[in-house]
Amino acid sequence: MLEQRIQTYLSTKLDTSDGVAISALHRIPGGFSRETWSFDARWREYGREVHRGFVLRRDPDASLLVTDRDVEFRVMDAVAVHGVPVPKMYWLENDGSALDRPFFVMERIDGCETHPSKVLMDPRFFSARDRLAQEFVDILVRIHAFDWRAGGLASLGVPASEAGCAIGEIQKWEAVVDRDSLEPQPVLRAAFRWLRRNLPPPAQRIVLVHADYRTGNFLCNSEGEIKGVLDWEMTHLGDPMEDIAWSCMRPWRWLGDEKIGGLMERADFFRSYQQAGGFAIAADAVRFWEVLGNVKFAAILLTGARSFCDGRTRNPLMALVGRNVARLELEIMDLMGV
Amino acid sequence: MRPTGLESIRAIQAALADIIVPELTSAFAQDAAGAVQMLLESLAGDWDTAAEDLRRDNEALSVLLASSRDALDRALPGNKSLASTVTDIENRLREIQDDSLTLSSLASRNHALRALLERILVAFDDLTGQSGYEKVDGLRRDIYVHLRQVATRGWSFWDVSSFRERMIAVRSAAAEDDARGAVR
Repeated sequence: MLEQRIQTYLSTKLDTSDGVAISALHRIPGGFSRETWSFDARWREYGREVHRGFVLRRDPDASLLVTDRDVEFRVMDAVAVHGVPVPKMYWLENDGSALDRPFFVMERIDGCETHPSKVLMDPRFFSARDRLAQEFVDILVRIHAFDWRAGGLASLGVPASEAGCAIGEIQKWEAVVDRDSLEPQPVLRAAFRWLRRNLPPPAQRIVLVHADYRTGNFLCNSEGEIKGVLDWEMTHLGDPMEDIAWSCMRPWRWLGDEKIGGLMERADFFRSYQQAGGFAIAADAVRFWEVLGNVKFAAILLTGARSFCDGRTRNPLMALVGRNVARLELEIMDLMGV
Repeated sequence: MRPTGLESIRAIQAALADIIVPELTSAFAQDAAGAVQMLLESLAGDWDTAAEDLRRDNEALSVLLASSRDALDRALPGNKSLASTVTDIENRLREIQDDSLTLSSLASRNHALRALLERILVAFDDLTGQSGYEKVDGLRRDIYVHLRQVATRGWSFWDVSSFRERMIAVRSAAAEDDARGAVR
């Protein structure tokens, strides 16, 4: 059924009068803010047979995040020309009539892995670890150097000032906790208070923040080449230290030790980022953003739990994540030093 | 009754792993089955102790709140905002008298107590370090000790990945504390 509807939709988009054949349609695990589907398409274009893999991202019935697909599409489209590896974006449909819910279609990048169990634990990737770490840093520097005004992304919402980046994010995530908490949250409330009392220095510059930049959110090959940075749902304009701290968070230290993203030591990450042309990193500012990052992640999990408990989704992952907020509370208390 | 609840959860997990998952052909379905398996592991992790943990937590919270009420009452004559917090604690501690051991009753009481704790913690964070409020400092520390104990309890999928070394350190420190307590 979905296959047929995608076929009909693509026939209106591709330059062909012979129709489009869809095959190998399957849903990809993950992508919790949207349903993610992969499929192959074949069609004839100017007498030539074309075969291409696509990924379709469709709004879900309920999600860990309430995000704007239009932002995700436009930002990925804009940063591609600046040397940030992202899948090519094809079509955005804010009117969901073709497939019941709004969606967009992008290029499928083949021959790569994204899951940390492969990228960090598959022996094929072991020798590529150093290159992967460097690519991870270099791409983050490129994202932060992106001229978002020239790229037409001022409409993302420019913080009132460099000093306003932090307070804006505190307010955003506190509102999510207010809205979605099903239980009292003494640790998160204490954390919001701590954050307001320990605001970082103003952002050195207002930059494009990916806001979910971490191991697990890029496609890479076994040579350590990052071919696509994914999951731009939370992207916004703000303080570059937000991305630095998010990358450092314990939940992404998949190997269970202190290595950032399972890739490199913290000091090496900071040094590489600065040497590659990134902003100066102050440990106190990173600490602030790391507390806020863990609070934000807890808020996202609370949203998932709320979706499940309100009956808006039966996805077992949404039930599971709510039961894991406690470990983030531990991390938040560690970081606050209480 | 046998099999017990825990034994039954283990039976479901075994069926999922040995019978159902091998029949699943799509990665998405296998991923969902993995989430169900972890959800069951999380339930199994506190099946036997959930009621006892809540009962103990509620006792600990009641003691912390009563001590907090006394500390605030003595330390802050004339502070209207904190006086109303003290009154609220008194009223709630009186109201929340329920001997039921059903999980829903215990959890409901726990929520009411944690909601008060949320307010107290905010008040204590304002007062901490100020001279004359040393008792408040000590209570604030005790509250965080309690919150840490709760935060490290049970099973999380992160315990075998991202939080592996951190949780080993937490459990090792807890075991040392227990051993010291036994010696004393």
